[in-house]
Amino acid sequence: MMANFPPGTATLLEEIDKKLMVVLRDGRTLIGYLRSIDQFANLVLHRTIERIHVGKEYGDIPHGVLIIRGENVVLLGEVAQEKEMNMPLKKVSGNEILKARKKEQEQKTDQDKRMAKALRERGLNYIPDLSHDDMF
Amino acid sequence: MLPLTLLRTAQNHPMLVELKNGETYNGHLVSCDNWMNINLREVICTSRDGDKFWKMPECYIRGSTIKYLRIPDEVIDMVKEETVVKARSRTDMKGRGGGQRNRGGGQSKTLDSDGDCLTVG
Repeated sequence: MMANFPPGTATLLEEIDKKLMVVLRDGRTLIGYLRSIDQFANLVLHRTIERIHVGKEYGDIPHGVLIIRGENVVLLGEVAQEKEMNMPLKKVSGNEILKARKKEQEQKTDQDKRMAKALRERGLNYIPDLSHDDMF
Repeated sequence: MLPLTLLRTAQNHPMLVELKNGETYNGHLVSCDNWMNINLREVICTSRDGDKFWKMPECYIRGSTIKYLRIPDEVIDMVKEETVVKARSRTDMKGRGGGQRNRGGGQSKTLDSDGDCLTVG
């Protein structure tokens, strides 16, 4: 089954004025109303929030109006309103989630350091995990 | 309204530009072009980790290095007003019969065969 889609970014015209989730190459998740697009899939998001997840908690950081350069977009999709309501996640304030993320990152770098030290003592060279750092 | 048109509307407004490398630039937009290259003035640059800051009177950013631009909410309202005004002027034009604008407005001139002006008004 192959539906007849219009070519290129024209398919995105269907999504205009809908509430969309956009994932960027740096791993960030943005949610906002899509107001405009062009042939490069540059996007205009209105009433945007950045959603940060740490464990089972999440928090939103307001960003207002964003013009996103198309190159940086990994995926975008419509947000189902009713599903958003009953998620098994706990909403916390923006400040709290930022604190939680900082703590998580500190724990991770701490663990990486100990791992590198332990491996070095055994004559191995530890290569840190770069998977969360996008390489443009 | 295309994203780049919105950016042009945001000229002289403050904005935050984040580059692909994570650095952010806060400043007033002076100008931009079709490649998203931009000029900012009174800029504060923040490092990726948000721990170092640089102040500079002006800067130029190549469009291809940009991740996103954050613009003030009122710019999108300006766009709405602009499109309403444009739509209205278009319908006005239709009402009056399109092609014959400028009637009675400007001066008319009478020219002789050499193109010298004989009368004005």
